[in-house]
Formats: sequence, C-alpha cells, structure tokens
Amino acid sequence: MRIKIQKSIVSSLLIAFILVLSTAALAQSRTAIEVASLGPQVGDLVPNFRLADQNGTLQTLESIAGPAGTMLLFHRSADW
Amino acid sequence: MELQDRLEELSASGIGIAAISYDSPEVLAEFAERRGISFPLLADVDSSVITEFGILNTVAAEGVGPNKDDPNVVADVAKYVSAFGSRQMIVGTPYPGTFMLDAQGRVSSRFFEEFYRERNTTSNVMLKLGIGVSPVAAIEGSTAQLKFTAYPSNSSITVGTRFSIAVDVEPNEEMHVYAPGAEGKGYRVIGLNLEEESMVRYEPVEFPESEIYYFEPLDEYVPVYHEPFTILQEIVVNADETVEARMAEMDTLTLSGSLEFQACDDAICYLPTTIPLSFTLDLDNPDRQRATTR
Repeated sequence: MRIKIQKSIVSSLLIAFILVLSTAALAQSRTAIEVASLGPQVGDLVPNFRLADQNGTLQTLESIAGPAGTMLLFHRSADW
Repeated sequence: MELQDRLEELSASGIGIAAISYDSPEVLAEFAERRGISFPLLADVDSSVITEFGILNTVAAEGVGPNKDDPNVVADVAKYVSAFGSRQMIVGTPYPGTFMLDAQGRVSSRFFEEFYRERNTTSNVMLKLGIGVSPVAAIEGSTAQLKFTAYPSNSSITVGTRFSIAVDVEPNEEMHVYAPGAEGKGYRVIGLNLEEESMVRYEPVEFPESEIYYFEPLDEYVPVYHEPFTILQEIVVNADETVEARMAEMDTLTLSGSLEFQACDDAICYLPTTIPLSFTLDLDNPDRQRATTR
C-alpha cells in the first residue's frame, strides 16, 4: 500500500515535472526578435530577384544597380 | 517623397535605387503617379523576395495566429508590428529598412530599426554614408579660425523620424580644432550640444577619424582636425502617444544648442568659442491616403 502511494506521488511529480519542462520549452520556442541580426549582414551577398516594377517592367539586382552600388529599400506598403 | 527628392544626388553618386514591398504593380503604379516617383517600386506580391532576404516580419503572422494572446507575442507585436495589434493586412510585410550594396551586390551597410515606428530618412542615410546632400535650412557662420555650415538632414520630420543635424567645418589655413581624445590634454573638443527636448532623443555625436598633431613647444601629440570635416548629431523623434498629442498642436519644432570648439595654429591657441545655433523643423503628418486599386 505504502509503496503504491509513493509510486503515485512519484508519477504525479514526474508528470508535473514534464509539464513544467514542456511549458518552458514552449516559451523558449519563440526566439526573441532582433531585426539587426536578420537578413544579409555587412559583407554578405544578397539574393538576386526578378520583380515587376510599377510600369510592369521586370527588374533584377543587375538592372537596378548603379556603377557605385545600390540602395535597396524594403517598405511595409506603399498603400497604408 | 523624400527619396525622390534625393534621387538626383544619389544617381550622381552612381547609386541605383529600388524599393520593394508586397503591393501589386497596380497599387505601386498609382502610388508612383500620385507621388511623382520615377525610381523602380518593385512588387513582391507573394513576399517571396522579402522571405528569401530573411526579413519577413514573422511577428505580424504570430499576432493573428493561435499564439496571439501569448504575452511575449503581444509585446513583440507592439514593438514590431503595430500599437493597435496585428492585422491580416500586415502579414507578408518586411521589417522595414535599407540595404546599401556595393557594385558586387554585397551589403556595405544596412539601416534597420528595432521599433516599427522609427525610420531613418534617406537623407540621414546619405549623410551617414558620406554622400553629400545639398543642405536645407542651413546656418552658415565663420570666425577668425574657421567656417561652418550647420543643417538638418531633413527640413520636415514626424513621429519616429530618425534624422540628423550635420555640421560641416572648414578650419582656416594653418588652423586646427580639437577632436575627441584631446580633452585629456586640456583642450576643448569640438561638439554640437543640443538642449534637452522631451519629444526627441539624441544619439551620441558621430565624429570622423581625426589626425594626430604634434605640438612641439609642449612635446605633445593631440587628436585634431585641420582638413574640412563633418560631425553628425543623430536625432530620433520619440514615437509615443505623448509626443503625438503634442505634435498635433504644433507646426514646427525648434531644437536649440551650440557649437563649441577651440582652434589653434602652430603659434597661438585661441580661447574656446561657443556659437548658439537653432534649427526649426516642420512637423509633418504621415500620408494616410490609400490607392483606389486593390
């Protein structure tokens, strides 16, 4: 009998422990955002692309580049 | 649009320009027409380029997803998405920012913010890159030792604007002024000191590299500037409700302060000089007009 009680205590403790662990794991599964660390960093090559502009002309990294380089802006929206 | 206004100067520096967003070519066409934009606005309609670049704002999707009530998500939404919570419309947008690429397509510098309401102005980026911008609302002055031109990167600002005040300094012939590090030798280092203003915060003043001057009579080595140089005071307009409410009542914001320096030549060290400066900037309301095509 005594052994049985101890067993159930142990197993509920174990379950509680697992619960705590999994909650912690859930919380940690969201890595903190740091925009500065996202995307190509200084010295990195950026991916090429092929996108239509406002006139329907397809543009690539090469087609927009100037002789000294490129200023590439990312905007949330031109519409709001 | 500010970038359009600087297009000529950027092109003259050999820099190509494009802006990417998830808008359709039709929306971009209307925006370009309405705002007189001639540089390419690129339509990344499915956000695939934004995603490939690794700068998709994933918090926007979290904010409308199953974990939207998680306190960490709520906090991140307020910081990275919107003070009013996320909406489906924001899903697919990038963290806004600018990459400067060299001729080989490598990132030479990047300008991104951690708070969604703060944005670098193009003119500020140009000043930081050392691309000359034609001064607006410039204050020019001269003393017996130097000439200076002080000007804001932008003549109008709004909530969250990251801009700067630049001071171009040209020491007269044979003259030098003191650079950071010279204070230890008892000299007054050149500085732009702006008075506290609760609507803005000041970043540390950016100084260019100085040179070492050997002053023989005292056998000392001191960091100085004797060629023309520019110091930059970066300023961020705080993006909070208090500032917004105050700004709604104002047309302009005046920032006052002074330029301080000490100049010397090989023979004479002049007394430290303080020149009062004041900059009045127009306050803009953000453009809320939307395209009629969806």
